[in-house]
Amino acid sequence: MAITRRELITNIAKAGVPAAIAVTAGAEMLQAETLSVPSAAVGLLYDATKCIGCKACVAACAEANGTAPDTRGDALHQAPSDLNDLTRNVIKLYKPADGSQFSFVKRQCMHCLDPACAAGCPFQALSKDPVTGIVSWTADKCIGCRYCTITCPYHIPRFQWVGFNPRVTKCELCSDRLAKGLKPGCTTVCPTGAVIFGPRPVLILDAKKRIAENPGRYVENKIYGEHDNGGTQALYLSRVPFEKLGLPELGEESVPERTLRWQRRFYQYFALPAVLYAGLVQVIRKSLKGHENELHEREKQTGLRAQI
Amino acid sequence: MSDTLTLNHRPKDENAWERNVPVYGFPVVNGFFLLLTSFVLIALVLTAYRELAGLGPVSGMNDAFGWGIWKTFNVMVMTALGSGAFAVGIAAWVFRRKRLHTLMRMSLLTSFLAYACGLLLLGVDAGRPWNFYWIVFPWKWNMHSPLAEVAICMSIYAMIPLAIENIPPVLERLWYFDSRLRPGVERIEKRLHSVFPYVIAAAYLLPGMHQSSLGALMLLAGERVHPLWQTPWLPFLYLGAACFMSFGCVAGTTMLCCLVWKRGMDMEVLDEAARITSWLIFGWLGLRFADIIFRGALLTAFRVDRFADVFWLEILLVAAGGYLLHRSLKTHDKQHMFLGYILSSLGGMIYRFSPTTLAFRPNPQALYFPATIEVLVSLGFICLGVLGFLLAVKRFAILPAPLHEWHSMANYFRFRRPYIRWTGYFKFGYFGEDESESVSSD
Repeated sequence: MAITRRELITNIAKAGVPAAIAVTAGAEMLQAETLSVPSAAVGLLYDATKCIGCKACVAACAEANGTAPDTRGDALHQAPSDLNDLTRNVIKLYKPADGSQFSFVKRQCMHCLDPACAAGCPFQALSKDPVTGIVSWTADKCIGCRYCTITCPYHIPRFQWVGFNPRVTKCELCSDRLAKGLKPGCTTVCPTGAVIFGPRPVLILDAKKRIAENPGRYVENKIYGEHDNGGTQALYLSRVPFEKLGLPELGEESVPERTLRWQRRFYQYFALPAVLYAGLVQVIRKSLKGHENELHEREKQTGLRAQI
Repeated sequence: MSDTLTLNHRPKDENAWERNVPVYGFPVVNGFFLLLTSFVLIALVLTAYRELAGLGPVSGMNDAFGWGIWKTFNVMVMTALGSGAFAVGIAAWVFRRKRLHTLMRMSLLTSFLAYACGLLLLGVDAGRPWNFYWIVFPWKWNMHSPLAEVAICMSIYAMIPLAIENIPPVLERLWYFDSRLRPGVERIEKRLHSVFPYVIAAAYLLPGMHQSSLGALMLLAGERVHPLWQTPWLPFLYLGAACFMSFGCVAGTTMLCCLVWKRGMDMEVLDEAARITSWLIFGWLGLRFADIIFRGALLTAFRVDRFADVFWLEILLVAAGGYLLHRSLKTHDKQHMFLGYILSSLGGMIYRFSPTTLAFRPNPQALYFPATIEVLVSLGFICLGVLGFLLAVKRFAILPAPLHEWHSMANYFRFRRPYIRWTGYFKFGYFGEDESESVSSD
């Protein structure tokens, strides 16, 4: 006896009505939960047009964070080719072969307002500070799954591949220095003021002023990070298109919000799974009863013990 | 939890599967078993090395490809093959395809082994496994993370509902083994049956959740997954692929076992499974193409690059498998049916493997190819599952068989180390039809 149509419809109805309510209620909750800018959001403003590529910030970063200089390139100079397990901050060069406009770019964590790494992190090892908005990593909670290296749209967190006690390395905006009233390491040494530290709203005003004072200097007159990926706390100004500097066009909606919308709704307060579970129990109870009856009948026929 | 005695009428076909019967008359330890054991031992030694040296020296993983085959093959692909307890179970228990009850013990066993081995390797793959203890504090979970969903849901599923569902064959063996154990076993069975509806419902809800969340994992990777794979429907497609792949795994493995250990094949059950699988495949292919067309990504499938190659290979394998299965329903050709299961499962494996590896493009220069040690460990943990399977089917009543197999087994064990002990076998009113006169209790 297959499931009857009436039974199927009744069961769907039984499960469906509360489910619909749950999802709607959950969706409203989600809208209330949308992230706002942390009250004291601090950030960096990096103006690529001012950067001379001296890499003083790379050395200062390593010093401020107490990491060994990464001399793995030539065993002599601290010249990391990219972010890695010893490097939280790196200067890279974009130089097209046709000799057109080149640009340096400083790469470090963007401290997104809605960070994808924290959205994916299973046990909240990567978390965003509710006050300063700094995204930082907690060793005690990290299971080393490396999902952050997959999810970050800027490809910032790096995993330590060697050793039995690996760590995840990313810029944490020198939060321990901030607590002492000091600025992040990279901003203290920049000779041209290409990277500055400050509260995010102040940095945005400063950047807008620079754009207004230098028409035509900045690409699209745009501050990357003002709205991109839901807004970031590291802001960029550049002469060349941002994609060339490794800052992809992501739209104004943050990556987690855009991609996990349905995932988040389905699991809101576990309402939908709970309703589904209740429906399943009902159906299976009935199946089990019928099945057991058949088994016992057959047991009598064959004289062999039923195998359930 | 499965059963074989579902048909009310006497079967006409003498091959009709009526009972789960252990594989008897073959030693557990043979050449193949020792070969598998050596692979497992190699993997265990290498695992110890990995724990000391870190992931870099033993694997091809790098900053761009943070996930290697341990996650993307042993977990993403193998647990899809091991979703039989979910897919076959739902067909049998929720949609009441009663013939499929005969395949339930096979499904439960393969699922348990696939999940257990996958989870073990997940622990090896995690860089800081000692922090897994957070899993017991639900308020520390990040409930909106697909990975938390997968990790938590998978471990709970494998350790609780799936493990409980696998208990009946063990109890049954104890029941037959010694008559003194019977009252106790029956008491436990009674208690077990009273919680079954709740356990079984959990065993369908949880895999439904984590098999889809495995797809949701790659949603966050956004544009870095090729547009032929990256879609908001990824969770649903992952779940669908798990459904037809697990049917393929369960039915295909059962057919293979029947060939190896020379048992009759019940074509009624296999036809039913093949029918469901072929429709699952056609539905899945339809959804896959509809999604690609509506997103406007179809043109990327006609470029000449490795992504298009992988895509067409996957589609052709799945479609060919579906076609062969569909055809075997009319021709009753077992070879076509078996090949259909193999091809469709291979195609599904490629699909499940693609978003994380084959179609994952973190940057143009990035390359990943598994290192030798990585492959050996991966292989070792698969061998561990196969070892468990071989041991289980020879010691417990897992494989379905015609009724006469049961009686032959009972005769066989009369003078050997038994599945059935003859002590007290006939005192409880369960008479084997064939031997009731010829045997007295000893």
